[in-house]
Amino acid sequence: MIATIRSEWIKLRTVRSNVTTAIVAVLIPLAISLLSVTFMGENNIDSGTLPGFIVGSGSVAVLLIGVLGVLCVTQEYSQGTIRLTLAATPSRPRVYLAKAVVVALLGAALTGLVVLIGNVVGSAIIDARDVPALDSNPDAAPAFLAMILMGAVVAVLGMAIGALTRNPPSAITTLVLWPLLVEGIVGGLLSLAFDDDVARWMPFQSGLNSMFLELPEDGFGRWGSLGYFAAWVLFVSLIAERSLKRRDA
Amino acid sequence: MITVEGLTKKYGSTVAVDDLSFTVEPGVVTGFLGPNGSGKSTTMRCMIGLDRMQAGRALFDGKSYSSLRAPLHEVGTLLDAGNAHSGRTARNHLRWMAASNGLPVKRVDEVLEIVGLQQVAKKRVGQFSLGMKQRLGIASVLLGDPRVVILDEPANGLDPEGIRWIREMLKHLALQGRAVLVSSHLLSEMALIADSLVVIGKGRLIEQCTVDQFISRHAKKWVVVRSPQLGNLVDLARAKGLQVATNENTAEFHGVESAVVGELAAGNGIVLHELSTQTGSLEDAFLEATALSVEYHGLSESAT
Ligand SMILES: Nc1ncnc2c1ncn2[C@@H]1O[C@H](COP(=O)(O)OP(=O)(O)O)[C@@H](O)[C@H]1O
Ligand SMILES: [Mg+2]
Repeated sequence: MIATIRSEWIKLRTVRSNVTTAIVAVLIPLAISLLSVTFMGENNIDSGTLPGFIVGSGSVAVLLIGVLGVLCVTQEYSQGTIRLTLAATPSRPRVYLAKAVVVALLGAALTGLVVLIGNVVGSAIIDARDVPALDSNPDAAPAFLAMILMGAVVAVLGMAIGALTRNPPSAITTLVLWPLLVEGIVGGLLSLAFDDDVARWMPFQSGLNSMFLELPEDGFGRWGSLGYFAAWVLFVSLIAERSLKRRDA
Repeated sequence: MITVEGLTKKYGSTVAVDDLSFTVEPGVVTGFLGPNGSGKSTTMRCMIGLDRMQAGRALFDGKSYSSLRAPLHEVGTLLDAGNAHSGRTARNHLRWMAASNGLPVKRVDEVLEIVGLQQVAKKRVGQFSLGMKQRLGIASVLLGDPRVVILDEPANGLDPEGIRWIREMLKHLALQGRAVLVSSHLLSEMALIADSLVVIGKGRLIEQCTVDQFISRHAKKWVVVRSPQLGNLVDLARAKGLQVATNENTAEFHGVESAVVGELAAGNGIVLHELSTQTGSLEDAFLEATALSVEYHGLSESAT
């Protein structure tokens, strides 16, 4: 298993487009939150401002990390290396698990970097501006932790969608349209038919909610929302792993 | 040693491989010969578990491929030299493969040197010519120093020098006692590379034999004679019911051994300037053998 994980890690980091995507997944969210604290009116900055911007940029970060998860599977199919991978490691569950461990750790590390750099540089920016000293925000730490975990969960989701479609454009489209469009439409229709309470059952939205500083009142709470989303991702992953096991490579 | 037993693979209603059994012995190069679309690549994919077979099994020294924990140590496979990420360097390509089976980076540099790619180890595979990719593929086959080597059409698209390199490499691998299975759709290529043959047509085994046996069984043979008294000899032979075709200075005797013609000439005091046996082209022999299998299929299919 360790050998398979090492192999998957080498595979991931030796393709330039993966590295670029990883860098972009850190830089774009950072740019969003740091530019925001730079240009926000000084009177409006309070203890929740910087953490709010950081976790607010988290949805962009996790989507880009999801794209990375997609790429690390679909490129195996587009480049033909999946046959070498499975010839070198005939146990398909082992290959799937090793890949998932690698993308999950990388996803968490990338959101972790966004949190870390965002806090260090963001605080420095705020200190340099004419703002009175701020208290620490009690909701910041759990929200940051949720964001870091979301990096791992969405990376695994991207990988599962990639393994199911085996095709980058359709996998990326699915990954992006799911939270932005599908859950919006389905949630909207359901809340028309029933009541507003159904929004919390939308998996991706639930996961994104777990990163908020102030949680929506009708949700499952921070860890409930995240756990609910993670359960969905686990379910999709099991289907994807089965598909890898059953289909010809 | 490889043992394939009753391998059957269907894609939907297409039967790509049909109850195929054969063995591959160590120490020789076994050619896997069949026309395009006859099921060679499918057989190889099924053998190493990439495609699921409907029936049958493939054993490597008695073990199925999926039961091997670090298969690169036992079976080296090259299905398509194009199966490499064009953005990765040759060395990184081999590094992830080596790591997956617990092989050290040192081994990567060793195999790069064996195939003569150490100068371009840090170049991206996308910049490689087909011949270089083929060498990289052979390097990946050698990584785990396997006892069994499987190559799918390794000579396809190579220039003569590349083909010679592959041929020498395969001979070398077999001499070291490995079992080598190499496919091709050209018998002439197989005749240069292989010692023994597994011939298939339409997914079925036609025969397993040595290259020489296959050629002598299927290639057309005839006896060519030159003689100052050619007319006399031809008349005598025709009188005995032999088939003879005459050219300007030579006659071709079909369906007899050269000894028969020689004795006939000697018995009648005819001087011979040439008495030789000619063999038809390998491709003709191959086409004839596979044509039989196609006809056989046609008959058996319409009969059922
Ligand atoms: N993935 C696939 N899906 C459907 N049919 C296939 C697939 N792979 C091969 N075939 C069919 O199986 C037969 C054997 O193909 P193949 O193994 O590639 O032959 P060869 O390698 O001898 O040229 C062909 O009729 C081919 O069309
Ligand atoms: Mg083929």
